[in-house]
Amino acid sequence: MNNESDKKIVPGQQKGKPTHDQADIVIIGNGIAGLTAAVEARRLAPEKRIVIVTDQIHPTINTPALKQFAIAKLTREQLLAYPAGTERAERIHVVSSRVTEIHAQSKYVTLSNKRGFGYESLLIATGSTPQGLPENIPGRNFDGVLTLHRLQDYLDLRRRLGEVNEAIVIGGGVHAIETVMGLLYWGIRTHWLIRGKTFMGRVLDDPASEIVLNNVRRAGAIVHLETEVAGIIGRVGAVAGAITNQQEMIPCQIVLSCTGTRAATSLARSCTVPMMHKNGIMVDDKLRTSVRGIYAAGDVAALKNPQTGNYEPRAQWYAAVAQGRIAGSMMVGHSELAMQPFGVPWHATHLGELSMLTVGEPISSDPRLTTLTDTSQGGYRRMSILEDRLVGYLSLGSSQPDSLAIKRLIDEAVSIKDVTRSLLKGQFDSRSYLSNQRSHAARNMLLLNQPAAPLKREEATPTRKLPNTGELRQVAAQSQTNYVAASHPNHQLNEPQTDQLAPMAVMPFDIDEINPFSGNLPDVSFSGLDGTGLYSQGKFMQPRPGPATPPPMQPQPRSGLINGRTEQKATPNKKEASYKLWAYVNAEPEDNTGRRQNIHEGERY
Amino acid sequence: MLRMLKPNAIILHKTRPQVGQEIQACIGCNECILACPAVAEPITIDMLNRETLSGSISAPIARFARACYQCGACVAPCPVGLHRDAMMLWLKVRLLSMGAEE
Ligand code: SF4
Ligand code: SF4
Repeated sequence: MNNESDKKIVPGQQKGKPTHDQADIVIIGNGIAGLTAAVEARRLAPEKRIVIVTDQIHPTINTPALKQFAIAKLTREQLLAYPAGTERAERIHVVSSRVTEIHAQSKYVTLSNKRGFGYESLLIATGSTPQGLPENIPGRNFDGVLTLHRLQDYLDLRRRLGEVNEAIVIGGGVHAIETVMGLLYWGIRTHWLIRGKTFMGRVLDDPASEIVLNNVRRAGAIVHLETEVAGIIGRVGAVAGAITNQQEMIPCQIVLSCTGTRAATSLARSCTVPMMHKNGIMVDDKLRTSVRGIYAAGDVAALKNPQTGNYEPRAQWYAAVAQGRIAGSMMVGHSELAMQPFGVPWHATHLGELSMLTVGEPISSDPRLTTLTDTSQGGYRRMSILEDRLVGYLSLGSSQPDSLAIKRLIDEAVSIKDVTRSLLKGQFDSRSYLSNQRSHAARNMLLLNQPAAPLKREEATPTRKLPNTGELRQVAAQSQTNYVAASHPNHQLNEPQTDQLAPMAVMPFDIDEINPFSGNLPDVSFSGLDGTGLYSQGKFMQPRPGPATPPPMQPQPRSGLINGRTEQKATPNKKEASYKLWAYVNAEPEDNTGRRQNIHEGERY
Repeated sequence: MLRMLKPNAIILHKTRPQVGQEIQACIGCNECILACPAVAEPITIDMLNRETLSGSISAPIARFARACYQCGACVAPCPVGLHRDAMMLWLKVRLLSMGAEE
């Protein structure tokens, strides 16, 4: 993440007068979204000139791992998100500078060192800036008052840890609690100041918040609810303690502010064409901003939450990676790879012994939702259900459920009728669930001589709606009609919906994927190794023969797919394997013979 | 039609796209490697993730993949709830296929 507070201006590579260069793709910020976009664009467009402009002084790092780094579980080298030298290997030109202005009509950006770059497409991936302590707090400049956000902040913290006995952590979110746990790990007496009455009031309900807080208290933290810092006192320039709004004096040697971040939208303001932004730069689901040719991704981008309809940034790692990939494909004109909806917000973390997972809208107060809670096994789970579909899931407990599978249940609006109980008890096993679904489907086909029941009743159009708290009725009605259709024996409803709703741009979810344990290992060659369907880097800049990308995804009869599998099993040879692999990528509707020949990429993993 | 009755083995592990997705969700915190009893030399997550997905497999990663015995110790510590064991399995499948080709 690259923030405005990084005001390090590295001397320009070019001396003297303003110069102008031209690049096809200019990316502002070398956080994970920026670099992922660059790598993705390079993969799809080997010949384009890609430039990253950044004022961050270090390569792209795994920012969520910074908390492990802070407590010395990681070395600095282990923080790298991409292997060192990726930029050079991918011929991504990195310019150390800061973009000062975007000239959207004439398509160029000006840099702080008077250099300029013309662009075809521009990606704003400037990340977020920490809010920090309010400006008016006395003593906020004492040595030892840190705002934890960047690598430099964590380096600073790590150096100080040895001489700290007592610490104050300010903030009411995940970042704060993770910091608290890190300090406790070091045996530091930690005071945690939360402004609100509960922990993460918007995501957790009261019992959940209580479980989390008790867990932290048990771990040794001193939790101060409804408390803010009124002033920081120092001794000879360094922090000695803090005074709270409860008139309490807490002695400490370090004050850590983890009060949340704001999208770094200043570039949206210094764009010559007005760019819509509020909490972040507003983008559509293809990450286009309101200005043509300009995209935004990562923490700075505000996407529409499919459930609430609000535009909000998703300051999360996984979202940033996914957005980077989509922005990368959009910028080189592969909009067909950007079909994947981002789905619902999702956060999973460990809080000491406790695993916390929130997916979607677990605490929505919409009256049409059914809420189930469960407190067995010392954990806490809360589910919001609409009809037979999951809308939100919250889990606290000693083990982390299969978080991505649960996110998928919500994103794809799969019926959870059969798994409600196991979800509620925290024993949801996605693998057996999905294989059961499959065996049911197969049995129906054989025994009842009718199309296998579709895995989902939902319509599989790219515009398909998630259960939306604003449009619940409409969705409910839709599901009913679909249900009727599905139960009609002659209705060919068995499209592989999962295929079409590729959750990752080029990595479609498909439960029928070949599996290492399915007994039919693919007989594939690894000639190229880097299928376009992969998250791959390096060594494939040379244009490849054959289609460079999977053609647009289109529905394909499930039965055809299954036949393909069967035949493949019966006569395994390379042609079949390549057909089969393609079937999983679900590239094109096949013709009746079900054969697609001469596909090179199909042979790759 | 009957061929379809052949038990298609139990799906014990994640499918390839799921593994790909998990790798993208990986925050690189290294907890799985810290918990792993099999890892014998320093391995960085960035290399491991990258080579699990695609490209050539370097010698240390290959050694680690061979050493991994699917004990599953890496799953519980993952803060994101990912399945490093499933990722390792895919790495092994890739390793085997590559070895077969050489
Ligand atoms: S399953 Fe493999 S990678 Fe995971 S802890 Fe065991 S040996 Fe290590
Ligand atoms: S523990 Fe999980 S998130 Fe951390 S590096 Fe391993 S797989 Fe990635």
